[in-house]
Amino acid sequence: MRKSIVVLILVCFWACKTDKSQGESSDLSDWSMVETQGQNQSINMMMWKGDPKINAYMSDYVLPKIKSKYGIDVNIVSGQGSMIVQSLMTELQANKSESEIDLVWINGETFYQLRQIDALYGPWTSELPNAEFIDFDNPFIGKDFQQDIDGYELPWGNVQMTLIYDQAKIKNPPQNKVELLDFVKTHPGQFTFDNHFTGLTFLKSLLISFAENPDELYGDFDEVTYQKYSQQLWEYINKLKPYLWQNGEVFPENVAQMHQLFASGEIWFSMSNNDSEVDNKISEGLFPKSARAYVPDFGSIQNSHYLGIPKLSKHKAAAMLVANFMISAEAQSHKSKPEVWGDGSVLDIENLPENQKQHFENIAKRQYAPPRSELNQKALMELNPEYMIRLAEDFRTKIINP
Amino acid sequence: MKLKVYPILIKLLFWLLIVLPVVAGLGYALSYSLGLTGLLSKGFTLEYWQKALTTQSLWASFLYSLSIGIISVFISLCFAVSMALSWNKSIQQGRLSYFIFLPLCFPATVMAFVVLQWLSPSGWFSRIAFELGFINSLNAFPNLVRDFYGFGIIVCSVLLITPFFTILMSNIYKNENLLHLENLSKTLGASTAKTLKRVTLPILFQKSKMTLLLFVIFVMGSYEVPLILGRQYPQMVSVAIVQKIQKFNLNDIPLGFAMSVLYVILVVLVLMVLGKPSRKYLKPHFK
Repeated sequence: MRKSIVVLILVCFWACKTDKSQGESSDLSDWSMVETQGQNQSINMMMWKGDPKINAYMSDYVLPKIKSKYGIDVNIVSGQGSMIVQSLMTELQANKSESEIDLVWINGETFYQLRQIDALYGPWTSELPNAEFIDFDNPFIGKDFQQDIDGYELPWGNVQMTLIYDQAKIKNPPQNKVELLDFVKTHPGQFTFDNHFTGLTFLKSLLISFAENPDELYGDFDEVTYQKYSQQLWEYINKLKPYLWQNGEVFPENVAQMHQLFASGEIWFSMSNNDSEVDNKISEGLFPKSARAYVPDFGSIQNSHYLGIPKLSKHKAAAMLVANFMISAEAQSHKSKPEVWGDGSVLDIENLPENQKQHFENIAKRQYAPPRSELNQKALMELNPEYMIRLAEDFRTKIINP
Repeated sequence: MKLKVYPILIKLLFWLLIVLPVVAGLGYALSYSLGLTGLLSKGFTLEYWQKALTTQSLWASFLYSLSIGIISVFISLCFAVSMALSWNKSIQQGRLSYFIFLPLCFPATVMAFVVLQWLSPSGWFSRIAFELGFINSLNAFPNLVRDFYGFGIIVCSVLLITPFFTILMSNIYKNENLLHLENLSKTLGASTAKTLKRVTLPILFQKSKMTLLLFVIFVMGSYEVPLILGRQYPQMVSVAIVQKIQKFNLNDIPLGFAMSVLYVILVVLVLMVLGKPSRKYLKPHFK
């Protein structure tokens, strides 16, 4: 009996041995080769599927276009941030020769982690014909969380953080830190921020506002600078804390939870990293029509989101074809329509050829958020990911469990 | 021949599907926590174990989870015993059984959201209280979810567990022929209260104590319910571990694994000390 158990276990281990055969190794620096190789394949794209409008944009617009243009089937798999990192990390640890994922939608924090574990393929973005029109000189696009993207991820969209309030309840939303403190004191329990990415982005905006010059915090992580300004930040948050939702003893776990609290009237403010969120949520019927987005005078973080190809992807050429279409003027302009998604384009629209520029003409303006030109004036750059790691840890030890 | 082959196959399946994955998972977590594996590992270190053993919030999480587990199981047990003894026949058959066992249809996540809808300041009870004029604003409703004492988590766990316990108690009552023993006790002169205290409850408890202990551990390790109804501090242990493994800092992953191995060790210790499980109980019967 014992022998048969041992034999069976050994057979199982043998069956689980890693496949060391090499994946796609052909030359992807020649676009005509990419077009030839990439067509008529099936790829898996892992992306956040938490917004019906974004899902509809992908399934009703991008996927059919890709299918008719290149014969590529894109299977969208739900997953974001840590799930993408965990999936690719597990594959690398298991010495897999090919990944289950061919294209990922990421932002700076995930990009930082994926570069840490060397999970991304690259450089590849300069091979894409449509990348010529990306506004790489714009630091909000060409840099991701102060990191050079070095061709390892492709800018796909650009957004800015906004605070969302209900103008039926608040006539003059607070514009600076003093006004915010006064507001929470006179309206206790109505303001909070979440314990995840959006809340940390809000904390980063506040952190930068304490610096005399934002440039002090830009660039690589600096311990002395962090200590200097984070101390002021935590002092300020501790002043706000007793007047926050649930006395600042608990924070919404993520932005979706905060939106629910705002929609149900439990809090008067929500926030979003997507400046079009308020229009989207009003059109979905989640937010009241009196909801409005704004950026306080101390500014808010503007950042871009990107597409990456895992190093172990078996279908890199197909993923590149899909990515190239997603940054085309046609796809970018459609994405920027408020009724579709309202996402900011990463293209340098002024320098587009006339036939492509026309795609961006006659796009209706959004109704409930200020125009991007106005938000741009208060835009702050994302900080190095190390700042977010430290803020997340210190928020836990200095605010949640002091 | 058949009689000999079947037990071997079942034993093999037990080893392959139950023992091997658990041991392999634990081994992997242990080696990760010691810096022996992982893409960012820098070689053997006890740093993460030192951190895990000296992190106050982790011990607070263990104690908090244990308290929530014990309280939830105790309350569920009280409800289950009351129902099993009061409506024993109706529970075994009839419409009442559908009503009592209805919560079994709800996955934990759904039940957590139901409790959130009931008890949050913008939930049903709060709105009813507001409409009836008991409170002057929704936020004046007491904090019953995401509260310090884990009230919402306990309510949800009780709703999820009570049907299981009701079935368990009802079956023990039937199988141990407790009705007969109760009648015998009363015939010999014991009062109803004394019969309950000296005959019924001791037998029910004795026969179910290992299951109760396992349910304490089940509640302690639950994830979705405290994620939805809990708060950031104190935090149930599963939520704390997952956040260490999945949040922004990849260098925290070995610490998360050290915490999970430590949790397993503590649970096994609790089982050994309180449960004293016999081989007969834990191992399946193959003969």
